[in-house]
Formats: sequence, structure tokens, C-alpha cells
Amino acid sequence: MKIRAEISKGDEIRYISHLDYSRAIERALRRAQLPLAYSEGFNPHVKLSFASALAVGITSQSEFMDLELTKTMNIDTIKSCLEPQLPAGINLIRCQQIYNNAAKLMAVVNLACYKVFFSELSGHEQLEKSIHKFNFSDNLLFVRENPKGKKQIDVKEYVQEICCNFYPYGLELSFDTKITPSGSIKPGEVLQALDHHYDLNLPLDDALICRTGLFIEKGTKRMSPFDLIGEK
Amino acid sequence: MSKVIVPSALLNRVVKPSRYTGQEWNTIVKEQSKVDVSFALAFPDVYEVGMSYLGYKILYHILNGRQEVAAERVYAPWVDMEEQMRNSNIPLFSLESFRPLGEFDFVGFTLQYEMSYSNILNMLDLGGIPLLACDRNETQSFVVGGGPCVYNPEPLADFFDIFLIGEAEELILEIVDCYKQWKQSGRSGGRAGFLKEAALIEGVYVPSCYDVNYNADGTVMSIGLTSKDIKPQVHKRVIKDLETVDFPTRPVVPFGEIVHDRIMLEIFRGCTRGCRFCQAGMIYRPVRERKVDTLVELAQQLVNNTGYNEISLVSLSTADYSCLHPLITALMSRMKEQGVSVSLPSLRIDSFSIQLAQEVQQVRKSGLTFAPEAGTQRLRDVINKGVNEDNLRDAVCAAFRAGWSSVKLYFMIGLPTEEDDDIRGIAKLAYQVLDWYKEVKGRRGAKVTVSVSSFVPKPHTPFQWFGQDSIEQLERKQHLLRDMLKNRDINFNWHDAKTSFLEGVFARGDRRLGKVLLKAWSTGARFDGWSEQFDYENWLTAFAECNIDPHFYANRERQEQEIMPWSHIQPGVEKKFLWREYQQALKQELTADCRRGDCGACGVCSGLGVGIIDWGNE
Repeated sequence: MKIRAEISKGDEIRYISHLDYSRAIERALRRAQLPLAYSEGFNPHVKLSFASALAVGITSQSEFMDLELTKTMNIDTIKSCLEPQLPAGINLIRCQQIYNNAAKLMAVVNLACYKVFFSELSGHEQLEKSIHKFNFSDNLLFVRENPKGKKQIDVKEYVQEICCNFYPYGLELSFDTKITPSGSIKPGEVLQALDHHYDLNLPLDDALICRTGLFIEKGTKRMSPFDLIGEK
Repeated sequence: MSKVIVPSALLNRVVKPSRYTGQEWNTIVKEQSKVDVSFALAFPDVYEVGMSYLGYKILYHILNGRQEVAAERVYAPWVDMEEQMRNSNIPLFSLESFRPLGEFDFVGFTLQYEMSYSNILNMLDLGGIPLLACDRNETQSFVVGGGPCVYNPEPLADFFDIFLIGEAEELILEIVDCYKQWKQSGRSGGRAGFLKEAALIEGVYVPSCYDVNYNADGTVMSIGLTSKDIKPQVHKRVIKDLETVDFPTRPVVPFGEIVHDRIMLEIFRGCTRGCRFCQAGMIYRPVRERKVDTLVELAQQLVNNTGYNEISLVSLSTADYSCLHPLITALMSRMKEQGVSVSLPSLRIDSFSIQLAQEVQQVRKSGLTFAPEAGTQRLRDVINKGVNEDNLRDAVCAAFRAGWSSVKLYFMIGLPTEEDDDIRGIAKLAYQVLDWYKEVKGRRGAKVTVSVSSFVPKPHTPFQWFGQDSIEQLERKQHLLRDMLKNRDINFNWHDAKTSFLEGVFARGDRRLGKVLLKAWSTGARFDGWSEQFDYENWLTAFAECNIDPHFYANRERQEQEIMPWSHIQPGVEKKFLWREYQQALKQELTADCRRGDCGACGVCSGLGVGIIDWGNE
């Protein structure tokens, strides 16, 4: 039996890596004593897959995972077994059976939505102007540096538009990033690119980033991973 | 109480920020209003190292088992985090209630390794606790030490209020009860009043109750008592029967990967093989085994409560557990369908171990480790390592037949009576292993890793009198080996001799080293066990400024009758036994394992009223 679940990554565990998060869920599943399906081989692992990895320092209101069980169980029973075993910061939001022909999460989820919050920020006007420019420009080149080397990417290929909201207690940016077969862009990289290109001097370390949703976008239609669960 | 809030901007700037954010599964957070006694279990190294330490899993469980006691974890922040904390005036805090270290009633440190001492000072400083015990006032924490290095805690005597000698499952609760009584009595006699009461408990060593006097030549003249009810000798505490104490079945499960990221099932304590260099083999006597049924039940509870998928059977020498085969069979049959594997650390050299390794399906045939410890039979007899080349051949060949092709060999250099022939013996053995592979497989293809550490003489061992090799001697031997081991199938690595020297100084040091430690810390020493942080020159300067000769402690051969700085701390193994063993060593005479052979009269069983518990004899 295959299960698709929507789960969160709260502030309590903001700083754990994707691998840590995945391992925490795997251990919770084992504690819940669910009939887990394991891969074959010398070093069997739980058949568990995620839609998209989440970086250290980022929380999420909506992560998706697919899981395989060796027996058929009632969804409510699965929920009631798993919920008490989840560590602080991981909530089970929704859980549903999926069927064999349901496409893999990784293959279909192609849009991630983010909110970025800055509690203290000076120079609002410059930021607003820059974002306005960004929204109307055709491209914004950014050099991604990692241990593998340098690579130039175009931010606009992944992010069309950024929204900016001011609150008495801070400022919030929101934007969607495309997840394509050839890659995506991290929200931290979007901020870095803006900061660098428009010379904003943003307090990047202060940014609190939250993923607010993962979707499947087809043309103008935006669907939830629960909308594509295969057929019985 | 005050809760420490660490700004996220700060956490975004350090590596592995989840080291500092807590919230792990099985963490115990108690409501402060219901807590009478708070106890910080501080580990003087980073989270991944400290979280792997079984001793604290046990004490966390025992202390928190008391409703009115809160035990919380504290680790040394890595240098990047320390910088951030100091810049922002954030005190060192616990991972449960996020309280500053200085707000705990007790701050416990485990002394695992001499090279972590500078981290203890750094943590006290970061926690807002005066470094010197004599500077702490009535409201400040009591600083408590335990672990293997408390068998000579003297270099730390200035910084600690209390040392707990031996196994602490019972002792730590006695200290807590003593503290509660003292608090209820309106803290009678102040800080000194509590320490005096505590000092009466068996296994408690309060360094301020003892006065050390020195001879003109620098050796200890006498260890005096400050009052007549103080015990002249502090005997270690020992759990007679492990079945009578609780084993933690709900250990904290970390998010990030730690050094030993699996269930640690302690199958027995003590080892009576009697290797003469080994301090653990002396201080943890006698052997006491848990029962197979108990272990299987504990293992199941641990799996249910943690979700781990691997169980490691831990002890000083796991292949010596008398019922290892029945235990492994029982565990495997039960755990296999739950997706849980069983692993064996630290195997001794015998083909029986290879068979076991195969059975538990450590199928990632990445490498087997053997510890012949010395390169020649002569020297192996000196150290009482009861293995010979035939044992090694049988084991290694069995491993090659079973499909392993890479072998790791552990040796020590700088052992008593060692000559260059013994060093050459190490290289010979490495080439011998390559040849054995050819004999078994008919072709080349083995990979041998030779790992050589430098021997550090430790207190309460037969070699406690021995003068450690100098840095120059050790480095000469390392070079000799490096020249002999130039082969594409042999990988040679060795320990930094300067680190071993400093370890040797503190291992057998006395109270006068406290000021050197303080000086070295004040000029930047921390994480000395991490090669990238270790600054030898800084230490040399500290010794020079304090006018203390480190060679006096490390490289000097002691006289039989010399009063050792640790002679008032008693693990039960008697000095006359240790001296006899040293003399036997020099004559290359072996001493049998008392568990099966004759009693070697070490004095532990009669002196401490305990005995060997070995279920294989039933």
C-alpha cells in the first residue's frame, strides 16, 4: 500500500538538514511500528521519498512524502500510530492512499512557494524599487558558487515575480520558484542575487525563510500533489 | 531562571547549527517549578562526540528518573559558535531548558581525555562560573567531575569542587540527596558545609579537603587531610550486579548524525585480560555481565523507543562476552524482520570473531580491525597481550577467505623495553599480512592500514612508573616506520607525538599543573584533541611562564616507593599488584586472565567486596 503525506517542518527544527529530516521521519515510522516496506540489498532502507529537499535554516508549512507499506491499513489508524511518534516540529497535516500509477512526487512537483521575513530592515524604498525593477526585467544573472565550482544561472528563469509587504513588525517577501528537470534555485540564492545585483546590503543572516507550499503547475492550472494520486 | 535566546542570525553563521537547538526525540524537559535540584551533564567536546557517550545516557536517565531532579545536556560550542556567543554576550546554555550553565545547582563534567581539559575551563567561563573552585560563592554551581580521568584528577583539583570516583549510578543520587538535605537545613555551614558532608560519602573526593606537600626534587612528600573525618583513601564505587541498576531505554535521539549513531547496548563492564598498558582494564574491574534475556528485552525496548535500525554491542572486549553466540542468535532472529541490524565493535584477534562478524552480516566488507599492539612476540609478552602470530594468521586468513580484503592493524610505539627490532617487527607484520593474502587468494589485492599511536603511561597501570618516550624518540620511530612501509598496498598513519606528550604530562600530573592549564587556556588553548586547533607552542609558553618542566611528569622513570599524586584515589587494584606486574613485564612473563584462569590477586574483589559475574560459568 502506498501513502502520500503532507507534513511540516517547524521552527523547532529549522536548522536540521534535509537528510536529518528524512532520518527523523524514518525513525518515527519505525517507532510507530508500521509495516514498512524495505528496499532489497545488503543495506535495506525504508521506501520513503520526498518531493523536494529543504535546506538548513528553512521551515516549511507543506512538505510531501510518499511511503510504502507491506500491508493495507486504514488511513486513520496510520495517522494515530504515527502522530504520537513525530518529534517536535513535524506535524502530519494530511495523509492519503495513492495508487500504483501515481507519478513520483519528485517528477511532478514543479513549483515551490516561499515567504521571507526580515524583522529589522532599513532602506525599504530602495528594496521596493529594486523588486519593482526585478519584476519587470527579462533576466538577472547570478553566479552560484559551491564546492563543485561556479555556474552562472538566470534567476528569472525560476522566479517571475516577487511580492513585498510591509508590516509594523517587519517586512515580508514572497515568491514562487520553478523546479525544473534541470534544476531550481534556492530561496537563499534569490536573496543573494537581489542583494548583489541591486547593491542592497540586505541582512541575509537575519532572513527567516519558510516554504509555504509545493504544487504541480500545468499551464495556468495549479494542483496539489493530492490531486494526482493515480487510479485504483 | 532565565532562558537563553539565540538569535537566528547567529545560528545562520555557524556550521551545524542544530548542535545548539535541542528538541530531539526523548529529550526530557521538566517544569522548573517542580524541580528541586538541577544537574547539568556537560561534555567537554562538540555535540556529535558528547551525544555518543553512553555514560551520560545512563546518568541522564538515572537523574531524570527522580521527579524532583532535572538533568540537562551541555556541549562545548565549536570555535565558530564560541566567537558568536562571546560577541553577543550569550552564555553557554543547556539544550533542555536553555538555561545558562551557571544557573545549575551542579555542573558535571566527564573527564574522558586529558586533551579536553582546556575545554572544561572554556565552558565554565562561557557559562559564567568562576574557574577556580575557591572563587565560587554561596549561590554558584558546584562543579563535579567523573569518568576515567578522575583516577588522577589532580591537574584539575583547583577547578572542581567534587570528583565522583567510579560507577555513578548509585553515587550520583546520594550526592543529590545530600544536597537536598543541605538545602533544607538552610545551607548550613555554607558551601564548605555541603562539601564536608559530601566528602563523607563513599567514592566522593573533595580535593579541597586534602593538602599536597612536595619534596625538594618535585615529587610528592605527603597528601595530608584538612580534618580528621576525611578519608585518607577514596575507594571507587562499583555496581556489584548490573542487573540491579536501570539501563536507559529512552536515550535522546539526535537529528544530526553523531559519531556513534546507533543503539549502544552495554553487555558487560570490566575486562580482566590484563594488558599492562591498558588503564580501562585496571580501573573497571571486575568483569560483570548482563544476562542474555535482559539484553534481548532491553534491545527491544530501545528499538521501540528510538526507531534506530542498528544495535551495537558495547563493552571493553565484546568477543569476550561468555554468551555472545546465544545473544547474537537471539537478537538477530528477533530484529531481522524489524529491519534492525546488529554490529560488533572492537574485535579481538581470533577466528571465532571472524565467524561472528560474518554471522552478523557486516557485509559491507569495508575492513576488519586487529590490534596486535606490538610488532614482536617479545614485546607482546611484555605488555601481556595474549596473542601470537599464529592467532593473527588464523584470524586474518579466515577474514580473507570470508571475502574481506582490507585489514587495519593497530600498534603502539614507545612501550617499555622497546627496541628498533620491535619497530621493524611492525613493518614485517604488515608485509606478512600482504603475503598471507597471496597465499589464500593466489593473487595480490590486500590493502593494509597500519595505524600507530604513541604509548602514554597512565595512572593505576603496571606502567605508571615508566618514563614515556620523548617526542624526539617517538618521531624517530615514526620515521623509521614510514621508510619501511613505503608500499602501494600499505597505508601508514600515526599520531602526533606532541599531543601524546602533553597527554602524558596531564595523565600523570599533579596539582601544580592547574596554573599551566589556566595560563594556556587564557592564551587560547581549546579543542586540543583536534589537530587543527592544537597549538603546541602556546602550551610550551604556558609551561615556561609557570616555571614548570613538563618532562618531569611525562618522561621521568619513577621510583617504586614514590608517592604518586593519585595515590589517595583507589580503583581497588593494589599498588603491590601493579608493581609485580611491571616486574613480570620486564621479564616478559605472562599473567593469566583471572576470569577463567588463576586469580592474579589484583585486590579488587577482596578490597571492594565484589566478584566476577560470568554467565558462561553457570
